[in-house]
Amino acid sequence: MISIDGLRDFGADADSALKRCMNNEEFYLKQVNKVLTGNSFDKLKEAVVNADLDAAFEAAHALKGVLGNLGLTPLYEPVAEMTECLRSKTDKDYSAYIDVIEDRVKALNNM
Amino acid sequence: MNEFGYSGILKRRVLVVDDEEINRDILGNILGDQYEVDFAENGKKAHEILHDRMTRYSLVLLDLLMPEMDGFELLGLIRTEEATANIPVIVMTSEKPAEVRSIKQGADDFIAKPYDMPEVILARCERIIQLYEDKSIIRSAEKDELTDLYTKEFFHEYIRQIDRNCRDLSMDAIVLNIEHFHMLNEMFGRKMGDNVLRKIAGMLSDMIAEGIGIGCRPDSDYFYYYIEHRESYDEVFATLSKELSGISKIPGVRIRLGVYQNVSKDISIEERFDHAKYACDRIRGDYNRQIFFYNREEHEKDLYHEKLINDIDSAIANKDLIVFYQPKYGIQCDEPELRSAEALIRWRHPKYGMISPGDFIPLFESNGLIQKLDHFVWEVAGRQIRKWKDEFGYTVPVSVNVSRVDIYDSELENRLMKILEDNDLDAKDLMLEITESAYADDARGLTTVVERLQGRGFKIEMDDFGSGYSSLNMLTEIPIDVLKMDMKFIRNMNKDARSHKLVELVIEIADYLGVPVVAEGVEDKNQVDQLRDMGCDLIQGYYFSKPVPPEEFDKFIKAEIEKGKSAK
Repeated sequence: MISIDGLRDFGADADSALKRCMNNEEFYLKQVNKVLTGNSFDKLKEAVVNADLDAAFEAAHALKGVLGNLGLTPLYEPVAEMTECLRSKTDKDYSAYIDVIEDRVKALNNM
Repeated sequence: MNEFGYSGILKRRVLVVDDEEINRDILGNILGDQYEVDFAENGKKAHEILHDRMTRYSLVLLDLLMPEMDGFELLGLIRTEEATANIPVIVMTSEKPAEVRSIKQGADDFIAKPYDMPEVILARCERIIQLYEDKSIIRSAEKDELTDLYTKEFFHEYIRQIDRNCRDLSMDAIVLNIEHFHMLNEMFGRKMGDNVLRKIAGMLSDMIAEGIGIGCRPDSDYFYYYIEHRESYDEVFATLSKELSGISKIPGVRIRLGVYQNVSKDISIEERFDHAKYACDRIRGDYNRQIFFYNREEHEKDLYHEKLINDIDSAIANKDLIVFYQPKYGIQCDEPELRSAEALIRWRHPKYGMISPGDFIPLFESNGLIQKLDHFVWEVAGRQIRKWKDEFGYTVPVSVNVSRVDIYDSELENRLMKILEDNDLDAKDLMLEITESAYADDARGLTTVVERLQGRGFKIEMDDFGSGYSSLNMLTEIPIDVLKMDMKFIRNMNKDARSHKLVELVIEIADYLGVPVVAEGVEDKNQVDQLRDMGCDLIQGYYFSKPVPPEEFDKFIKAEIEKGKSAK
């Protein structure tokens, strides 16, 4: 079960995110669960595996917005970095990002 | 916003456009207390929602990167299309190049991603909305400048909000009109007229301030209010009337109020106010009534009557009006004998099917249109008598109705004579039925007309004898030829001894006057036998036949002819 304290330990900026959620903890946790159980991460991974940089950019950009709003900093940072590289179509190994992201998602899910 | 009553009920409406559900939820959560929030997951959906004419948005919050139609494209459309050009747009981005491009396309402000703190977002939204509403063009779109009441568009939007937020509340729709308002303007000048409108609006708004309610001025001297249900409007009316009469003593200038109480929320807002307006307009010029409550059945009846009135000409032209004939039989002989018939009109309406004469005859009697029907029946009956003569060599005298309006028509005699002429008929072939109520109006006038018609050879039947108040008196003054007993006598004749005696009495009176009696509404053999014993001469009723179309009537004539042959 993900808790506010657990998120803090994870490194999330839960305080800002909670303010954004009008200090409604239940609402906040619901949104966090939504992003973890949704298919946004899968979409990003699939685009990277297929080396479809446009699709990868779109997926990363969308995720970045959501993760930022939810204050999930440890996930937000790699996704934000990816987004900028993808925006300028930088040629690099994006699967390294995916590995990092997947590890952190797993950590959250194992809470 | 200056809403009436319970504050916080009426909210401005904001559209959030973002493809990410989580973002939409977070924004909705922030904005929901302050605004009515709608959502769209892409530009295309948002465009559709914005063009739904029933809704008026005060702000659009727009994400840029979205599938289907992105934020830039939607922003371009919002700014170029007239219906949306005045809606402020806040773009949600924190990327500088996107900001520049959005500004160039007409965005008004930005919200960063990740979102700023809720207070910042709310303040930005409020500021932008305020800014736009201070531009007179938007203000005048929401409020009527003169009275500060809402314009129709906003009025409807806020009613929807009231309905949604106060689902279980009973509401009334009221329409107020200042009758002959133009006279105020004409006599005291426009400024004075405007003052009155302002005053009335202000007073009404004050009065409803205790509860939930909202007002609108859709048209110069009409006011619409949607307010919490109340049982009585007497006090509201008295206060307003007093105020108005304090300003103007012009006779005819007055307030009238149409009220549709406990509105059905299943019908559209327009319809609710159509009902209230109908109630308001129904008492136009009726100085005995100042407040009128909408009543569905009455309204439907009015609409139905209006339709019938409109349809009468086409009914005649399209032969939807049909003349039926009901035979009258002589019973003072061994076997009943066909003597004559009564022409009765039927209406086969293309929409309503067979309409009972009881539905349209009283209606047409009340507005004079009955004359049209009468003339039609006379002409058709005239041709039919001729047709029977030609086909069977047999004369069936037919009685037709002569209504009150016909009696005072100076052309009556000429018209009837022309029918006789056209069809080569004898005056006694076309019998004329008048009702005794005509006598109550103008006894002398009626007597004169009757005598003149008799002078031409027409036979006059007194219809519905005994149903009015003037019967006996009239009999001594008007030289009628036949007396038709009101149907009610026959219907009741076997109920008790008194009713039975009444029938006897009527027959005796007729006997004394030396005129034959027709009993209408006779249904069974028992009645026929009794009436024969009492000395009644003629019988009309279902016992012999209901009213039938002329082709069917032929069989009665044929039977009569057969009888004649076998007797010989």
